Amino acid sequence: MRSVRGIGQARAAVFFAVLAMLPAFNLAHWVLNMLVFTLMYAVMASAWNLLGGFAGYPSLGHAAFFGVGAYAVTLWFQHHGIHSGYEPFFLLPVIGIGAAIVGLPIAAIAMRTRSDVFAIVTITLLFVAQTLAFNLRSITGGAQGASIAIPPFSAATFERPFYDVLLVLLAVAMGLTWASMRSKVGLSLAAVRADEDKAAGIGVRVQAVKLLAFCVSVGLTAMVGAVWAYYVGFIYPQFAIDPLITIAIVLMTFLGGRATLWGPVIGAFILELAQQYFAYSLGGSQYYLIAYALVFLVVMLLMPRGIVPSIQERLRHRRRRRVVDAPTSTGGAAQPVRAEAASMTRRPFTPVPYAEGDRA
Amino acid sequence: MTTALLEVANVSRRFGSVRALQDASLTVERNSITALIGPNGSGKTTMFNVITGYLPADSGTIRFDGHDVTRAKPAILYRRGLSRTFQQARVFGHLTVQENLVVAGGFSVAQLFGRRVGRQDRERAAALLVEFRLSHVADLYASELSYGQRKLLEFAAVLMSQPKLVMLDEPTAGVNPVMIETMEQHIRQLHASGITFLIVEHDMNFVMRLCDPVVVLDQGHEIFTGAPDAVQSNPAVLDAYLGA
Ligand SMILES: Nc1ncnc2c1ncn2[C@@H]1O[C@H](COP(=O)(O)OP(=O)(O)O)[C@@H](O)[C@H]1O
Ligand SMILES: [Mg+2]
Repeated sequence: MRSVRGIGQARAAVFFAVLAMLPAFNLAHWVLNMLVFTLMYAVMASAWNLLGGFAGYPSLGHAAFFGVGAYAVTLWFQHHGIHSGYEPFFLLPVIGIGAAIVGLPIAAIAMRTRSDVFAIVTITLLFVAQTLAFNLRSITGGAQGASIAIPPFSAATFERPFYDVLLVLLAVAMGLTWASMRSKVGLSLAAVRADEDKAAGIGVRVQAVKLLAFCVSVGLTAMVGAVWAYYVGFIYPQFAIDPLITIAIVLMTFLGGRATLWGPVIGAFILELAQQYFAYSLGGSQYYLIAYALVFLVVMLLMPRGIVPSIQERLRHRRRRRVVDAPTSTGGAAQPVRAEAASMTRRPFTPVPYAEGDRA
Repeated sequence: MTTALLEVANVSRRFGSVRALQDASLTVERNSITALIGPNGSGKTTMFNVITGYLPADSGTIRFDGHDVTRAKPAILYRRGLSRTFQQARVFGHLTVQENLVVAGGFSVAQLFGRRVGRQDRERAAALLVEFRLSHVADLYASELSYGQRKLLEFAAVLMSQPKLVMLDEPTAGVNPVMIETMEQHIRQLHASGITFLIVEHDMNFVMRLCDPVVVLDQGHEIFTGAPDAVQSNPAVLDAYLGA
């Protein structure tokens, strides 16, 4: 068990070390720009996974909170000067917590519904937010958009601060996911996802973990929205609160595997890089969207539950077969080996999170 | 403390044109093992669902431990000390057997941030796993268990907290005879330690050995309440099972 956990930590350490060193290789601006967007999506998919994956509440309204973060940072610095380029980043925790607080009453109401109804309720929220952004002209500038001060970073390394901050946010999102999986929060969420009514009847703190998952999830999403607004410098309602953002993070999470630590991150890296690559290589035409859809469809046909759960399942089968085949003497000795092997294959992820028929 | 632990009074519930419960009443005295029997479709499971807040009653009142719980949700009833199992065992298939027990441990919101399965949890679960002969499958997913093992697991999970009343819906269906005996022993032990039971059961031998009193439901209405040996000779009961 210990060694398995060690492998998981080593994997994470290598992953973040490589990402942290990447910009040192003098990558072209367009590559760094692509990585910045990939990291944004990796954070958002991880955040969405807390709610849509672990809790089993498929929100389609996350782009509304992305917009909340984007407008929050923009409006704040319309009224306060930026003294140093890093100042907006220090505001991120406030924006995250603020969005979580805004999300609390919304969660309390929306989470009275489940599955498809919940999805509809949350996408309605998205359109309400977009309509507000268009129409509250005195605050948001309406369709004219709103601008934020240009970051005083040198043009040569313009992307670096954004890249670094997003890498930290990814570490936070994955760290929170990992912590929840190892705590009774994750255990309770797994019960809620499988059978919420049963869970309530055996004393699981259903309401507490549901609200927690929602608030953390939207808080992280709002922080990404704030970084995005500062990065692009000028925001319009249709881009700050964009259903396509929601769809992208949902697809990424499905592709990589819901309710796993690495699934959303892998999904984001595959789909966002594929989209950027095809958009670049297939030029201005819209054909890249078809290529993008093909990547998604092929993977989902081969691995309907997503990449990470499918791989885990295969490993698990192989290990179990090895245990069963192992030449152990009869009786007592065989059992602990088998149990230990099962527990090893189980960590550090929780595969098979969805019942049959729950695949979209 | 002279009132009964559970008092169901004149409860009705219909599904469309099906009257699953019609003006049904039922009392469970403290520290009894009450049986609820009746032909298939007589409303036993519906009665359970209405009592435990999984279905609202159309009319009637339910009192548990001195409180009106007619409209209470399952979470509230759990907190008041009422736990149940389901006829089709409901366990969490993608949690391990051990985790299925731990998650039923009744922890506070603060404890949510503790380890997923801590040492104490493991110890509490281990005792039950041994007794129900589930130790060797403790780390398998519950979805990998046989039907009978799932029923045992669901029953064991109920015992992870300290309920006042345990309601079992056909606990022995699909369970092998050795395990039925284990279950029976458990019920006796827990009963001796002050826990009350309400059990829906088809196995009349099981009922005769264990339960007193017996309530008979027919077409959503109780037609008999009394000692187990009086049940089998009661004409109304015989009529319900054999006639019509
Ligand atoms: N959720 C439901 N929807 C529709 N009809 C139901 C439902 N639950 C039970 N019934 C009907 O109510 C009657 C009583 O069912 P039930 O309470 O399950 O009986 P028992 O447990 O005694 O076999 C049956 O006719 C059954 O078909
Ligand atoms: Mg029934």
